[in-house]
Amino acid sequence: MIQLINVTKVYPHMKAPSLDGVNLRVERGEFVFLVGPSGAGKSTLMKLLYREELPTSGQVILDGKDVARLPRRAVPYLRRSIGVIFQDFKLLPERTVFQNVAFALECTDVPRREIARRVPAALELVGLRHKSRALAAELSGGEQQRVAVARAIVRNPVLVIADEPTGNLDPENTWTIMNLLNQINQMGATVVVATHAAEIVDSMKKRVIALERGRVVRDENRGTYGYES
Amino acid sequence: MSLRGWVTALRDALRNTARGNVMSLASMLSVAVTLLVLAVVVLLAVNLEEMAATAESQVEIKGYLCTARREEVKCGQRDLTEQEIEAILAGIRGLPDVETVTFLSRHEALEEMKRADPAQAEILSGYEGDENPLSDEVYVKVSDVERVAKVAEQIQAMRGVAKVDYGKEIVADLLAFTRAVRIGGLGLVLLLLFATVLTLSNTIRLSVYARRREISIMKLVGATDWYIRRPFVLEGMLLGALGAAVASGVVAWGYIRLAPAIQESVPFLPVVRPELILTDLTLALLGLGAVLGAVASFFSLRRFLNV
Repeated sequence: MIQLINVTKVYPHMKAPSLDGVNLRVERGEFVFLVGPSGAGKSTLMKLLYREELPTSGQVILDGKDVARLPRRAVPYLRRSIGVIFQDFKLLPERTVFQNVAFALECTDVPRREIARRVPAALELVGLRHKSRALAAELSGGEQQRVAVARAIVRNPVLVIADEPTGNLDPENTWTIMNLLNQINQMGATVVVATHAAEIVDSMKKRVIALERGRVVRDENRGTYGYES
Repeated sequence: MSLRGWVTALRDALRNTARGNVMSLASMLSVAVTLLVLAVVVLLAVNLEEMAATAESQVEIKGYLCTARREEVKCGQRDLTEQEIEAILAGIRGLPDVETVTFLSRHEALEEMKRADPAQAEILSGYEGDENPLSDEVYVKVSDVERVAKVAEQIQAMRGVAKVDYGKEIVADLLAFTRAVRIGGLGLVLLLLFATVLTLSNTIRLSVYARRREISIMKLVGATDWYIRRPFVLEGMLLGALGAAVASGVVAWGYIRLAPAIQESVPFLPVVRPELILTDLTLALLGLGAVLGAVASFFSLRRFLNV
């Protein structure tokens, strides 16, 4: 599913590389936690996956295709197969919950009938179907993140990437979101989650990849968070 | 691209235009003003061209043929025979760029003078026949005013032609003038086009900025560049076309009133009639406004779309 071969990323005007010769392989259907101190390169790694950034050297291979070699016009189609979730939700506050989820389908020209069928299903999964008509701005943080999760999965992506999805949430909501991601993984999607939620990483017993100063320092199945939190 | 996609994009464009209403109005008006100036420049240029064309068509070469009374050495102080005159006329007709050749004999010329001034007819009668001091004349019209000097030279070189006259300075001035009008007009038009694109792209940039969050999400969920660009391109076209409509309206209103007045006070000037030009001008301005708006949007979005 995901393969990183000797990937290095150096941002302009930065001395130290954000990623430094990373080699990594994630199989289809895996659930992976990315851990490590802030600035270790977790976000950079994820940005390479949905081609927000290009590697300085090395190859990022998704589904057998080298992401960096993808022509510009093919990038939108790559992104349609990936669901991305952020710490700050990235919702449109003045639109309703339904509209926020439908937005991902609308701007990729999905027929309206299809939208009417898929959006409620996605909202059902995250338990917010009853809030379809509420404005995103009126929801709590946890609810907003669940809307973002619904938007990420409404297209049935093969890969879901979550960059510190619970960074702004209380422990209870953190559990809800992590359980949702786990559920999405059970349904078949490959899930990569960057997080600082030590307790959850420890109790979920998933594969844990630790990054420090742009290098993979630990990669264990059924791993633990491994840092003081 | 589906019809629904276009409808959505158009709705977005209208919403954007309405949302930035003060800014949209301001930019639409400044586009209107720039296009108004542009239209005035075009109208002026068209009229000056028309004037120059009329003046050009009036330029003709006047050739004086030899007579016994003329002093030029090449005339040899003898009258030309009919055959010689015919040969000269045929020669002139055979020159390239010559359009029409009119011959006026010195006897006809004298008769004309008598008719023109009956009071002098008595005196003029004394100059009939061999006493006629006038010369036979040829009037030559040339298809292209730029070729007048060359043709005049060729006629002058012919045997039996005493002298030619074609208002050398006037022709030179006319040519310089039309050239200046063309170059100046073109330069000014380009400058105004540039100003219009700048105005529009600034407005669109604000509109893009107001929706930057939406744009970043669109990119994230896999919207194509064209999908993201479309409502802004439509918004630009709309603003440009609206500005053009205002400009066209004002120009039409002004020209319809002004053209007849100018024509009346300066009858010898050929003013282009409003009905001959305003339709084309309006259509051109509307098209131009829309195209400039599209171009401006295209450029103001480029930076936002590049990852």
